[in-house]
Amino acid sequence: MSSSLDKLLENPRVWRGTHQTQRKAGLTSGYPELDRHLPGGGWPTEALTEILTEQYGIGELRLLMPALARLSAEDPQSDYSEPGWIAWVAPPFQPYPPALQQCGIDLSRMLIVRPKGPSEILWSAEQALSSGTCAAVLFWAETLDDQASRRLQLAAEKGHSWAIAFRPMLARQQPSAAALRLELHSTAQGTRVHIVKSRGGRPTVLNNLL
Amino acid sequence: MSRAWKSPVTVRDAAPTPSVAQQVLPFVEPAPLVKPSFLAATLVQRLWFCIWLPDLPLEASRSSDDATVIVEEQQGIHRVLLADAKAQAAGVMTGQSANAALALLPTLQLEERSLLQEQQALEALATWLERFSSFVCIADRDVLLLEIAGSLRLFGGLPPLREKISSGLRQHGFDASLAIAPTPLGATWLARAGRRMCIRDERNLKRTLRLLPLASLNWPEGLCASLTGMGVTTIGDCLRLPREGFVRRFGAEHMLELDRALGHLPDPRNSWRAPERFCADCEMTEETSDRELLLNICRELLLSHEQFLLARQLGTQRLCFSFFHLKGPATELHLGCARADRSAERWLELLRIRFDQLVLPKPVIATRLQSGMTQALLAESARLNFHTANDRPARPYSIAQLAERLIARIGEQSVHSMALIAEHRPQYAWRAQSLLSDWASSTLSEVRRHLRRPLWMLPEPALLPADSGYPLHQGGRLRLLDGPERLETGWWDEDGISRDYYTAVNLAGIRLWIFRNRSRPSCWYLHGYFG
Repeated sequence: MSSSLDKLLENPRVWRGTHQTQRKAGLTSGYPELDRHLPGGGWPTEALTEILTEQYGIGELRLLMPALARLSAEDPQSDYSEPGWIAWVAPPFQPYPPALQQCGIDLSRMLIVRPKGPSEILWSAEQALSSGTCAAVLFWAETLDDQASRRLQLAAEKGHSWAIAFRPMLARQQPSAAALRLELHSTAQGTRVHIVKSRGGRPTVLNNLL
Repeated sequence: MSRAWKSPVTVRDAAPTPSVAQQVLPFVEPAPLVKPSFLAATLVQRLWFCIWLPDLPLEASRSSDDATVIVEEQQGIHRVLLADAKAQAAGVMTGQSANAALALLPTLQLEERSLLQEQQALEALATWLERFSSFVCIADRDVLLLEIAGSLRLFGGLPPLREKISSGLRQHGFDASLAIAPTPLGATWLARAGRRMCIRDERNLKRTLRLLPLASLNWPEGLCASLTGMGVTTIGDCLRLPREGFVRRFGAEHMLELDRALGHLPDPRNSWRAPERFCADCEMTEETSDRELLLNICRELLLSHEQFLLARQLGTQRLCFSFFHLKGPATELHLGCARADRSAERWLELLRIRFDQLVLPKPVIATRLQSGMTQALLAESARLNFHTANDRPARPYSIAQLAERLIARIGEQSVHSMALIAEHRPQYAWRAQSLLSDWASSTLSEVRRHLRRPLWMLPEPALLPADSGYPLHQGGRLRLLDGPERLETGWWDEDGISRDYYTAVNLAGIRLWIFRNRSRPSCWYLHGYFG
């Protein structure tokens, strides 16, 4: 009886408020308050996460660093025997290796890719995601339409890789296939994180997270 | 006992007069060779495979299917050197003048003999033959020799090996005469005589060689004529002549040749080595812009490249394709891969990615493939697999494969990894590391934990406007949180700095890494974001 009920509740069309079951545990973000509001208790790996910011440098990297450090180290939850690479596709500035190492990221598994045009950025990100080599792929895309985001979402599932798209705030009106959409606003008190869309979760605003 | 060994020596000093019996029949009962005991253990029975290409001049420079003859200038007159079957059917014969041949067959194609093309064809064949033996030798202008004693086991015996070589020669368009014998000269003479023979035993060799006509020796015509005049028509007849007299009349070198052919004297040969870099052209009869056709040509070139590297157990990391146009410089396409490789399929995959973007300004007339530096390719040893339930699989693709694909499409400068350098100046504390080079051990120094470093670095420090000495950013005054951290000097490479670094926060709450130059004028610069 209970097993058939479980099966029914697993159906994604059944909305269960805050008490939902999650098939796959998320990747701990390192921020307990954020983890509490994310379905699965962390970042949804093997899916596309979108982070919208007004400008780059307001704390979007610090938000990710604990999770990336965890991916970069030996991860007992991973499906593979060795940790994956972290690919940076078209970063707006230079990721600074000494600071990355201070955050606990293994620099020998870093891949920086700087494609020329918008279509090349998406192609590179898709290649990196679907290759199965990268644990996480961070990319900065000005243009990412619904179809492209769906492609990347599929590539992330195929390659068991976490796709993170950084996009300008203007993109908030565009539809997206991302499993998680965050908006980051910098205020004088700190950075406000707004969960706009979360598959299996609820929209929330988290103040002074960073 | 060792008469056969001594004979060339006695020629020179001629001191001991041999007995009558020795003089008359020196080779009737050849004495067994006495070899030093320390050599006997290492002596290996050799077997030589000879390929004689009698029609090489025709096959090397033939360009059409029509009746063709090769002509060569002899004393100011072009004479027919070789005629193909069609020309022969029309009555064209070797030695005719070119005009006479044209009178017989007006549609005849005349080709000038090209020794260069013959040599190239021979080298190409030698390269191809390297797959059958590690010892290939270009013995003459039209003779190739292979030492096959060591290859027999690998190819499953003599008949399969022979079949492979002869069918391969046919595919390459060569009509060859083959023979196998324990000595290189013996094999050559057998092949020249047109005997498709396989002799593995030295005693059989002597018996067979005796029957060969003098013409198969390729000796000078004058010599053959005078020998024939003496009633000597076969090698056996030659051997029956007194050695002393033969040497005096015709020279020692011919007697030595006979000794080598029979195996009485060693006959060392030089192994032919193909150049270690691959370079091959494919020329087309007319210009083309058909990209599919060009890709197919590239594929053919890659396949022969793979064979070339396979024969040497080599791989390469770089390739260069050149597409030649009738006018203007060639279009070049460089490919690189992360690990030395020779697989044509893998290179073709990389080529396809790049070829889509390649702009060919004009139609292409010829294509060239040139390999970069080759390196020894170690076969990968597979790991013994003892799977247990807890074992997790390795990642399906290596980073090298991903990097290759990315580099093929967007260029090598745009894809890299990073390594730390022990250096106090922030802009020099790291370097980009190519993914195509060997993995250098990165992260040589542990960064000290207490130093505050930003996650985002600007490529060049940006000048900040200042308001009465205070730095401004996005229209507001910056608040300094932390600092100063003084970083100085760099006299050794003439890029010395003298800066005070601060952590600052702007009105919007963004944290910045800024510095002030200590030298005049002391301006504020933005160097990074804490991200």
